[in-house]
Amino acid sequence: MSGQATEPIPTTEQLPTEITRRKRSRAGLYTAVAVIVIAAVALGAAWGAGWLKPASTAASNCAGPGAGPSVVATPAVTATANRLSPSTTTPTILGAGSSLVYPLMYQWESVYSAATVNYLSVGSSAGITDITQKSVDFGASDAPLNGAQRGAAPGVLTIPESAGAVVPIYNLPGVGVLKFNGTVLAEIYLGKLTNWNNTPLQTLNPAASLPNACIQVVHRSDGSGTTFIWTSYLSLENKTWSTQVGKGTTVNWPVGTGQAKNAGVAGYVGKTPDSIGYVDLNYALNTGGVTMGAVKNPAGNYISATVANSASALTDANPTLPSGGGDWYNVSLLNAPGANDYPITSLTYMFVYQNLSKAYPSYTLTNAEALVAFLNWTVTTGQSYSALLYYVPLPAYIVTADQTTIASMTFNGSPVP
Amino acid sequence: MTDRRAPSRWGDWVFAGLVAAGGAVLLVLVIAILIVLARQSVQSFNTFGVGFLWGTQWDATRNIYGVAPFVAGTVVTSGIALCLGVPLALGAAIFLTTQAPLWLRGPIGTIIELLAAIPSVVYGFWGLYVLGPYMRTTIEPGLQQYLGWTGAFSGAPTGSDLLTSGVILAVMVIPTICAISRETLAAVPSSQREAALSLGATNWETTRLALVPYARSGILAGVVLGLGRALGETMAVTMTIGNSDRLPTSVLSQGQSIASLIANELLNSNGPLQYSAIFEAGLILLLISLLVNVAARLTLWKLLGPGGRAAP
Repeated sequence: MSGQATEPIPTTEQLPTEITRRKRSRAGLYTAVAVIVIAAVALGAAWGAGWLKPASTAASNCAGPGAGPSVVATPAVTATANRLSPSTTTPTILGAGSSLVYPLMYQWESVYSAATVNYLSVGSSAGITDITQKSVDFGASDAPLNGAQRGAAPGVLTIPESAGAVVPIYNLPGVGVLKFNGTVLAEIYLGKLTNWNNTPLQTLNPAASLPNACIQVVHRSDGSGTTFIWTSYLSLENKTWSTQVGKGTTVNWPVGTGQAKNAGVAGYVGKTPDSIGYVDLNYALNTGGVTMGAVKNPAGNYISATVANSASALTDANPTLPSGGGDWYNVSLLNAPGANDYPITSLTYMFVYQNLSKAYPSYTLTNAEALVAFLNWTVTTGQSYSALLYYVPLPAYIVTADQTTIASMTFNGSPVP
Repeated sequence: MTDRRAPSRWGDWVFAGLVAAGGAVLLVLVIAILIVLARQSVQSFNTFGVGFLWGTQWDATRNIYGVAPFVAGTVVTSGIALCLGVPLALGAAIFLTTQAPLWLRGPIGTIIELLAAIPSVVYGFWGLYVLGPYMRTTIEPGLQQYLGWTGAFSGAPTGSDLLTSGVILAVMVIPTICAISRETLAAVPSSQREAALSLGATNWETTRLALVPYARSGILAGVVLGLGRALGETMAVTMTIGNSDRLPTSVLSQGQSIASLIANELLNSNGPLQYSAIFEAGLILLLISLLVNVAARLTLWKLLGPGGRAAP
C-alpha cells in the first residue's frame, strides 16, 4: 500500500522546474541577466540617493494614528514649508510630542487666534527627536530631557507648560476607597505583595474586606511620561525600587501586564477584577469600573486626587528651579508638604531653542515673534483651559520662571519683543 | 499562407523586460530592507556583540538590551499556535475533502476561509475582552489543577499571557493551513484513492496511506505559511501577551514577542542605543523567518529527494 505513495509522481512543486528545464533557452538567460542588472542599478541609485543611510529620523516621520485632523503626514516638510512662507498673515507654529498633553494642545490650537498652531501627538520620545532635529518649532514631553538628550540638542530651553496627577486605580467589586502608601505601592509593583488581603494593606485599611485573591498588576507597555512620574514616586518612596528598577519612561517591570496608553491601562483595569494600575487623573475619573485609591502624603493624610489638591501640591512643593537652559531631570514636585496636598504630581514640558535665528536659518522675525507670543500665552491665558480637561494649572512661581525663560529667547542676537 | 518569415519578436522583448522589472523591484526591496535593518543594528551589535542573542535583560533605565525574552516569547507563542492549529486545520481539510457531504463542503470551506479575512486587531480585541477573562477564570485554573505537575503552568492565572496569545494565533493560522491543505488534498488524483479502496483499505487507511503522503508537500507548505503569520503577527499578540520584558518562566507568564516589542517600544525609544537594539531584534525576527523557510525547504527535499522525486 505504501508503494502507492512512493511512486514518482509529478507534484505541483516540481512542475515549474520541469517546464523550465525543457524550455530553457537563451531568452531565459537574458531575462535573468536583465533582472540582476536592473536590481543592481536600482540598488545603486537608491544608495546614491541616500535612501539606505541609517535614518535616525525614522521616528519623527511617523505622525502616529493619534494625530489630529489638521495634521499633515510629514512634520519635517511641513515645518520647513511653514517657515519659508512668512508672507502669510497668520504664521504657522508646528509642535510635536507627548500624547498626554494632546487634549490640552488641541484645545489651545482651536482657541488661539494670533497664529495657526499644529500639534502632532506622536509620543514624548518622538517629540524630543523632532526638536533635536529642528523639524518642529517646539517639542513636548512628559519627562524632562536627560543628560544625553540635552547634549544632543545644545541651546534648547525647557518650559513647563502644564501639570498632572498620576493616581493608583483598582478593580475590587464591593470594596470602597482604599488607602495606600508609597511602600505598599512599591511592594505591589515589585511583586513582593501578591495577595490583596496581605497584612500591610489590611493594616492600612482595617475596615475593608479585602479578597483573598492575587493582585493583577497592570503597567504601561509603551514609553510614557505617566510611567516616568509613577516610577519617580516609587523610587522616592522605596530604596529597593530605586536600586532594582529605577525611574524612566520605560522600565524593566518586575511583575505585571503591560497595556498601551492611559486608555489601555484604565480599560484593562476596568474589565479585570483584582487588578491595579496607574493612570492620569482624567482617565481615573472617566473610566467605568475603576476606583481611585487615596495615597498617603508626607503630612500623614490619605488624599484622593483632585485638580484642586494637585494644584496646591504644586504650589507647596516649591522646588529650586533651574534656569530654562539648565538640567530639569531631577526637578521633583512629588511629596509636597501641605496637609491636603496630593503627593504624586508632576510637570509636563515644552522644548524650544533659545537662539531662534541660529536654530532655524529660514526663520523671519515674524516667525520668531509668533512663537514667543504663543509660548507666553500658553503659560498665562492658556492655563485657564487646564482644569476643564483635568490638567493642573501652573502655580505662579513656575509661570514666572517660564516667562523669564521665554524672555531669554533671541532672534539675530536681540531679544524677541 | 505563403509568408514564411519568422514573426516579429519585439513583443516578446517588451514582455520580458516588464516581468524582469517586476522581479527586480522585489529583489531590490528585499535587499534594501536587509541593508537598512543591518545598518541600524550596527550600534547595538557593537555594544552587545553576539551576547545580544542570549541576553535576558531588556532594561531601558540601565541601557542594557538582550533579545532572549522576546525570542522565547515568539517561539513559544508560535509553537502553541502550531500545536493547537495544525491538527484542527488538517482535520478540517480532510473532513472537507473526504467525509463531508458535497453540499456542505462549499459553505464550511468558505466560513473557514472567512476567518482569514478578520482583521488581526479584531482578534486582539476578542482575545483581550472575551478569551482572556475566560482563560483567567476557567481554562488556566483547570490546567494548573490537572497539569500543574508539569511545571509549565506555574504562576498566577491572568489571561494576558503566552498561552492566550498562542490560542489566538492558533485561530489565526487555521484558515491558512486549512485552505492550502484542502487544495492539495483535493488535487490528489482519484485513482490514488480508488486504488487504496479497491485493495480493501478503510477510509482511515486510505487517508493515512494514500491521501496525506501524496499531499504532504502542500500540507507542509501550508504549515510554513501559517507559521510565518504566527511569527510576525503583531496587533493581536500585543493585545493579549501581557507585554512584559522579562524572560517567561511558564506559558502563563506575561511575555513579549519580537513583533510586539517593536510595536510597543520603537516610537518611544529612550535613545539611540535602544532604537538600534529594536532594529537588531527586527533583524533577528527576519532571520528566524528565513530559517523556518530554509528548514521547510530542506524537509521537502528530504521527503521528495533532491531531484523532486519521492524518497524510497
